Amino acid sequence: MPENQNMPFLSVKDLVTEYKSDGKIVHAVNGVSLTLDRGRTLGLVGETGAGKTTIAKSIMRILPDVGSKIVGGQVLLDGRNLLDLPEHEMRKIRGNTISMIFQDPMTALNPVQRVGEQIAEVVKLHSDPGTDCEQRAKEMLEVVGIPAERYYEYPHQFSGGMKQRVVIAIALACNPLLLLADEPTTALDVTIQAQVMDLIVDLQKKFQTALLLITHDMGVVATVCDDVAVIYAGHIVEFGSKEQIFDHPTHPYTIGLFGAIPDMNEDEMWLHPIEGLPPDPTDLPEGCPFHPRCKHATDACKHGPIAPVTTADGHMCRCCRLDEISKEAN
Amino acid sequence: MPVPVIEVKHLKKYFSTPRGMLHAVDDVSFTIERGKTLGVVGESGCGKSTLGRTIIHLHEPSAGQVFLDGNDITGVRGGDLKRAREKMQIIFQDPYSSLDSRKTIESTVREPLKVAKKYSKAEIDEKTIALMNLVGIDERLRQSYPHELDGGRRQRVGIARALALDPEFVVCDEPVSALDVSIQAQVLNLLKKLQMDKGLTYMFVTHDMSVVRHISDDICVMYLGQVVEKCPAKELFRMPLHPYTKALLSAIPSVDIHHPNKREILKGEITSPINPKPGCRFAARCPHATEACQQAQVQEEVSPGHFVTCCRIHEL
Repeated sequence: MPENQNMPFLSVKDLVTEYKSDGKIVHAVNGVSLTLDRGRTLGLVGETGAGKTTIAKSIMRILPDVGSKIVGGQVLLDGRNLLDLPEHEMRKIRGNTISMIFQDPMTALNPVQRVGEQIAEVVKLHSDPGTDCEQRAKEMLEVVGIPAERYYEYPHQFSGGMKQRVVIAIALACNPLLLLADEPTTALDVTIQAQVMDLIVDLQKKFQTALLLITHDMGVVATVCDDVAVIYAGHIVEFGSKEQIFDHPTHPYTIGLFGAIPDMNEDEMWLHPIEGLPPDPTDLPEGCPFHPRCKHATDACKHGPIAPVTTADGHMCRCCRLDEISKEAN
Repeated sequence: MPVPVIEVKHLKKYFSTPRGMLHAVDDVSFTIERGKTLGVVGESGCGKSTLGRTIIHLHEPSAGQVFLDGNDITGVRGGDLKRAREKMQIIFQDPYSSLDSRKTIESTVREPLKVAKKYSKAEIDEKTIALMNLVGIDERLRQSYPHELDGGRRQRVGIARALALDPEFVVCDEPVSALDVSIQAQVLNLLKKLQMDKGLTYMFVTHDMSVVRHISDDICVMYLGQVVEKCPAKELFRMPLHPYTKALLSAIPSVDIHHPNKREILKGEITSPINPKPGCRFAARCPHATEACQQAQVQEEVSPGHFVTCCRIHEL
């Protein structure tokens, strides 16, 4: 595949994805655009139900056939729109060029198949005939720090952290160019989380993988990401480099999110929650989706789509009161 | 000195498994003063939830004693147990599975009041409404079922139910880990306010270090059923002493991008709690382990209120 110098490796444009539920339409992803280059890490952060996983599943086209639909937009991988490809082409890409690490290692593995075979299966599907798939699977086990002789064991013989490493081995077996990691360490304990995250980052650097990391843990984002997209109700409300987002968050939602985390270095009597709840995705408010919870909201926030404002150095914020809020802050 | 609300002495809880005895809680002792919060942290399987449940007698202890307001409640049964339980309640981790899906919110909150058999119908009605106001459940939601509520509201229902009989001591077993951070802050503020208003005593079980630092007065760090370190909350973060505590704190990804944690990545994983060998249970993963760590370890008060169980603490 020729690499175009000017074009980002992954470019998602105006992605809109919907689910049908009880006769209502769930507006899960509402016009999301993002770009990601080889060797870079983009963090998608946001709360439960914000649409993070749906974005990843839309890119990989693994949404359920019944009840979900990519309504619009493009997913350009190296210039090719994945949404236009026939299913048999897409099957060659999944697990090969793009692969995904799922959140829950307990359910992502087949309980009645040997772990080694589950890795070998991916290799077999995507490599030339005659490749020694078992050998490759054993190599991958070693790469993720599991002795190759455990190839013949079953998932229940592994701890949670080891199962997640098997899931990572499956995802990386074919050296993907794009890795979608959906809360890869959320189900793990913090000391194991540190081991697994280090492993993902090491392998990413080694293979120059583009990594889309979905998480709700700002600490994980701070540790590994280059860029950050903050998702709220299926919209990217703020996008920027890690430094821009952490040092100068501008969207009231991003600011609220940081404010709600208990501070490890300061003693505060009360935390600062974001009052209210995320909106019902079957009945999104008009205008800015955050306005019902936003203390800066005015009438202007309640109408029409909110245009993104991007600074010269690429810090995007979707808030029509941006200027007033930053003036108030000063 | 006032009598502590909860005193635990050499508490043990073993479970029998096909492969041997699982030492879930192994010789744990501490006290919690009235109105204070003891945070209990550790990784999954370290016995922190079992400890909470054993204290309030959801599990029968294998050995050791539990005192509530100075009274030994270890072997109590029948009416005495029921009276003790009115003073000790629990808020569960998962607001999805800890509520009866076929009961309305109101009848869930009402149930403990009915079970207590102390109140008239009118009193129960009045108290139910007061409880739901206390935890901030809107009037319109009272006849709803749990599936109609979001996680934060469900956890409020769990809190209302736990507080129905005016307990003195509440075990909060990971009450916010299933919640998003913005909602988590709402629930933590509520728990803190209730503690101040009612003088509640909490044992707060969690694996989230930033939450435990915020909510606790003292913190116990557990590893494989044993307390490896216990001290005032702020001190634990300022001056962790046990090698496991140090590793645990260093593994937390910091949100401060300019001062990332100096990470000390542990090798290996928690070993099996079934028939553990004597000696330090962390030794297999500890970068400082020596021969001496294979011997049984003693808890030591290294400075006032700061307890550590590590034989190499003075050398380190």
